[in-house]
This record gives sequence, structure tokens and C-alpha cells, in this order.
Amino acid sequence: MSNQPHILVIDDEPQILRAVRTILIEKGYRITTARTGEEGLTLAAATLPDVVILDLGLPDMDGLEVCARLRAWTQIPIIVLSVRDSEQDKTTVLDRGADDYLTKPFGIEELLARIRVALRHLSQSKGAVDPVIMVGEVTIDLSRHVVTRGGTEVKLTATEFSLLAYLAANAGRVLTHRSILEHVWGWAEGDNVEYLRVYMMQLRKKLEDDPRHPRFLLTEPGVGYRFITPN
Amino acid sequence: MNIQTSISIRRVSENLVAILITAITTGILILLREALSAPVIALLYLLPVLLSTTRWGLGPGIMASVCAFLGFNYFFITPYYSLTVHHGQDVLALIVFLSVAIVISQLVGRIRSSLANAQDREHEVSRLYTLSTALVALRGMDDVSKRLATDLQTSLRATACQVVVDPGASISAGIAVSPEDTTLTIPPDHVFPLQTDRGTLGEIRLWLDRPALSPTDERLLRAFAGQGALALERAMLVQAETKARILEESDRLKSALLSSVSHVLRTPLVTIKAAATSLSSGEVSWDSPARAELLAALEEETDRLNDLVSNLLNMSRIEAGALKLDREWNILSEIVDSAVGHLKHITQTHQLEVDVPDDLPQVQVDPLLMEQVFTNLLDNSIKYTPSDTKIRIRATALPGDMIQVEVANEGPPVADEDLEGIFDRFHRVTSADRIPGTGLGLSICKGIIEAHGGHIRAENLPAGFAFIFTLPGKVTKIASDMPVE
Repeated sequence: MSNQPHILVIDDEPQILRAVRTILIEKGYRITTARTGEEGLTLAAATLPDVVILDLGLPDMDGLEVCARLRAWTQIPIIVLSVRDSEQDKTTVLDRGADDYLTKPFGIEELLARIRVALRHLSQSKGAVDPVIMVGEVTIDLSRHVVTRGGTEVKLTATEFSLLAYLAANAGRVLTHRSILEHVWGWAEGDNVEYLRVYMMQLRKKLEDDPRHPRFLLTEPGVGYRFITPN
Repeated sequence: MNIQTSISIRRVSENLVAILITAITTGILILLREALSAPVIALLYLLPVLLSTTRWGLGPGIMASVCAFLGFNYFFITPYYSLTVHHGQDVLALIVFLSVAIVISQLVGRIRSSLANAQDREHEVSRLYTLSTALVALRGMDDVSKRLATDLQTSLRATACQVVVDPGASISAGIAVSPEDTTLTIPPDHVFPLQTDRGTLGEIRLWLDRPALSPTDERLLRAFAGQGALALERAMLVQAETKARILEESDRLKSALLSSVSHVLRTPLVTIKAAATSLSSGEVSWDSPARAELLAALEEETDRLNDLVSNLLNMSRIEAGALKLDREWNILSEIVDSAVGHLKHITQTHQLEVDVPDDLPQVQVDPLLMEQVFTNLLDNSIKYTPSDTKIRIRATALPGDMIQVEVANEGPPVADEDLEGIFDRFHRVTSADRIPGTGLGLSICKGIIEAHGGHIRAENLPAGFAFIFTLPGKVTKIASDMPVE
């Protein structure tokens, strides 16, 4: 039993806790729930969960603070839950250590997908990342710097490749504009999102079947981008 | 040097000048001694006394009188060059002279000081008049206290004046300082309350370059404080009244909103309840196509509810002037594609045509709010036009890095007088019960577009109707880099 992934859900709304608990237990996860930030922090330290799901709007403490206090001692994946109109909060909490976010109301498949990605990254951080990523008819070989689409090689510029590589290496996970700009361009400061937008568009044109309706290079409005693989 | 010493120096010099004038008169009279009789000389000696009194007041006048008396006695009453008097008649003349001189200087001095008083009063009254006319025209508490501070500081010749308004209760406190941006670190020399029948509204603090206020200044301060307190009280009442009116207005808005919203919210709830109960009742078999249909309805209707809630939230923010934009550079086509993708379930009834090139200048917008604009405009276009007609979204670059977006449909034209009001809250062109809606969608669009520095309008087309809006854009130039080896 104890090899089932253990998830700590910190949310003050009983209805959400009830729904999430029911579904996650059904899916074979072990669940611990907390109603306040303080309780969540205590339980996180006591039970050492594999993933933390954290609501940003807690009654006793700012979600940002909970996140910061967790990050002070652990790297366990944190998925934050937030409402639609607080992009700034989401971005801040993601830039300060949270791994992913979900906007309420969310579909259960989305929640399960986020948890799967978080668990996969947890295991990957213990082992090596798969150097070859396949999505549809696109194959990305991170070690050989080769990208093919339908068997033919796609010419990418150096920046395009490092952008794609960064996204693909974090498949399933949201990456904020700031983290991409910092990682790919080395720009820690400044608002250069417009460059990123242009490069993403070029990537989509080279790799997506319908660049205007992308299937794996997705935009997270106001937050960043997400590379998703079919499974 | 303080004012006290400068005043006493002035006094001394005035007296000295009075003595000097009497001495000059004495000199002239000595030259004319042989030609003039004693009574004439006595009369002529009254001249410096009069002059000193009228010029400098009672003190110097008396000083001149005494000097004239001594001069008259010494130089013109026999024996000359001595203060001794031989004839009883001369003693009488001298005493009469001194009395006349002193009485004259007193009379003239009194006239002079009452004239000065009258001038002071007039000055005071005119300052007070200026202040009160100025205060009548001011509506805000801040304006009143600022004006009061400035006027007091100049009228009382104070180093600085601070008017602190703190009536307590729900009215915010304010501080006005004159001269502006003076930093006051030491405690004030003089504090005077701003008092009305309702209680103390605050206080006036004065910093002086002299130890105390003169009685005149004190009187002026009291009068100013009275006027100021009245004006502040009036401003407070105006403020309270405005607040009450705003509350009443927003109350009316809220009840209108509530009645409009409760209807619109209930529709998806009816569907959700029906779908959920029929699924849980076991009436619908597992493999029936109805099951998939009901599940799809559940999902769509919850999305619609969510959209409604966002719209309401945005409305209340626009209303409160608290719409917060998370602006960043965006490619407009991405936002349009995303909005269209989210609306797939309701756009199926119409032919949607999107003509938004992805190489348009980027726009610095809040992507979620802009998506809401497209969602609302499309939702509106779908609701008010017949099925199977065309809806076209087109964006073009205008000169000056502006982007123009047009959402056009083939629906019936809108009466010209409605084109402007169509973006007003609760404005429904069609009778309300025929087509469900909150009457908020378009006003939210207008609020969002204008918050972005754009402009939106509605226009009848030769065949149809269009919403047209503009947004400021920016062309991004990307440096080319090397392809991968």
C-alpha cells in the first residue's frame, strides 16, 4: 500500500476537498488533507508527501508564503490552485518555486495530468531525462540536437532549438515567461515577452500541423507556455 | 534680529528725530528772535509738536512738546540761556504752552491711532472677505484647508501654518501646510482649534518668528478659524451627501444586476440539475447516446456559469475603477484563436471566419481580459443573428502602430440612436425576454478596451452589423540568429 503516491491537498473549501479526495482515492492515490496553511505545513513535514496541491486562497496565510516555507526544506512538487483572474499571483508563485498551477474550476483529467507530470518529474530528478522525446510525428533528440518531423529533419535556429529543448525537457509542466527568458536567452530582468512570442510562433510553424491551433506547444495565457506530450 | 528689538530701535529713532526737528525749529527761531514776540514763538513751537505727533504718534509728540517747552524757556524767556524764570507772566505762558502742546499731541495722536486702527480693521475685514468668498467656491476639504493655511500664513506673517483636519468618523483626515513642502520638525508656537457646533474638526498650528500673536493677529486668527471651520463643515456635508448618492446609485445598480443575473444564472443551473439527476437516477443506460449528450451539457453549462461569473467580476471591477490589467506583449491572433477555441460549442450554429494575420504588430494587453472581449462580442453576435449566417473577425494594422479589429455579422441593422447606447449597462436593443442575457457583455467590452487605451464603436454595414475597436500595437524586430549545425 505504501508505494502508492501520497498527495497532500491544502484547501479550505470542504466541497473541493471532498471532490478531490474521492476522485484521487478512486485513482489509487493516498490522500492527506489540510484546511489551513499552518496545518498543511505541519502535515507536509510529518507525512512527507510525493506531491502537494495547494490552494492560493487560504484563510490563515498567503499561498505564496506556504510555498516559500515548503521550498525552504523540500523540493517536492507543488501544484497551486487559483481562480481565473489572478495571473499575477500565479506567475509569482510559479517563479518562486511552485511547479504548476490549475485554474478553478478545473477538469479532473487536468488535475490527474498535472499530478502525473509532477510524479514523473520527481522520478526524473532522481534518474536521467530521456534524451529522445516524441510527440506526434515530431521527434526531438536532445543529446544530438536533431529535430525531425515525419522523418525529415527540421532546420531550427540555435535559439529555436534551445527554446524547444527547454520546453520538451519539462514536458507537461508550465514554464513561465520569466523562466524561459532566463533559461534560453539568459535575460533575468526585463519584459521581453514579445521576442518569446515571435520564436514560439516560428517553432509552431515549423513543427505543428496547424500552427494556429497548436497541439503540443501550448500557450498559458498571462503565464507562459506548456509543452504537452500525448501521454 | 527679532521683531521686538527692531521695534524698540524704531521707537528710539522716532523720538530722536522728534528731538532733532524741535532743535532745528529752535535754531531757526533763534535767528529770528529779534523780529518775533514771545507769543508768536510759542505758536511756532507748536509746529514740530504737531509734525511729530502726526508722523509718529503720541510718544514722539510728547517728546517734542517737552523739548519745545525746554527750548522756549531756555532761549526765548528772559533771562536767556537759563531755565530760571523771573516774571510770573512767563511762568504762566510756559505752563499754558506745555499744556497746549501735550493736549494737541494727545488729540492728534488719538486721531492717528484710531485711523491706524480703522485701517487695520479695514484690512482685516477685506482679508476675511477675500477668504470667505474664496472658501465658498471650494468644495473639497483638502482645498479648503489648503486655502486656509495659505491665507493664515500670509495674513499673520507666520513662518509656517499647518491646518490639520481630523473630524473622526468615516471622513478621512487631511493636512495642509503653507508654505508647501515645508518640513515641520519642531512643535508649533500656537495652536488654535477649528470648532463648530458639531464639535472640533481639527486644528490650526502656527510657527512664528515672534514670541506671541498681537491682539489684532489673535482676532484675525479667530475670525479665520471660524470661517475655515464653517467651510470645512460644509465640505464635509457635501462629501457625505455625495457618498450617500453614490451608495444609492450603486444600490440601484446592484438590484438591477441581481434581477438580471439571477435569471441568467438559473438557466445553466436548470440544465446542470436536470443532467445530473437523470444521470444518477439510472434512467439513462450506460451505453445510450443520451448519456454522452448529458455529460457534454454538464460541462458546457458549468463553463458558461464560469464565464458569467468572470463577466460579473469584471463588471464590478470596471464599475469600481479597479480593473487591474496584467499587460504584456501578445500576438492578437493567438488570443483570437484561443477565444474561438473556447467557444466551439456555441459557434457551431454560425459560419465563423477568422482573418487575423499572425504577423500583425504585437499588442500590449491583458490576454485573459482581451479573450473576454472576443468571447462577449462573439456571444453577442451569435445571439442576435440568425443561424447559418456568417460572423467574421478581421484585424488590420492602421498607421501609427494601431490595430483595428472588426467583428462583423450579417444580422439586422441596429437603429442609429442605439449605436452609441449599445455599450451601456443593461442596454438591451431587443426586448429583454426574447433573448437571454445580462445586458453587461458589451459594456464590459467597452470597459476593457478603454482600459487598454483603445476605443470601441458599433456600426451598421451595407449587409449586417459590426463591432469595431482599436488597440495600440508595436512591431517587434527580431535579430536573426544562426541555424543549428
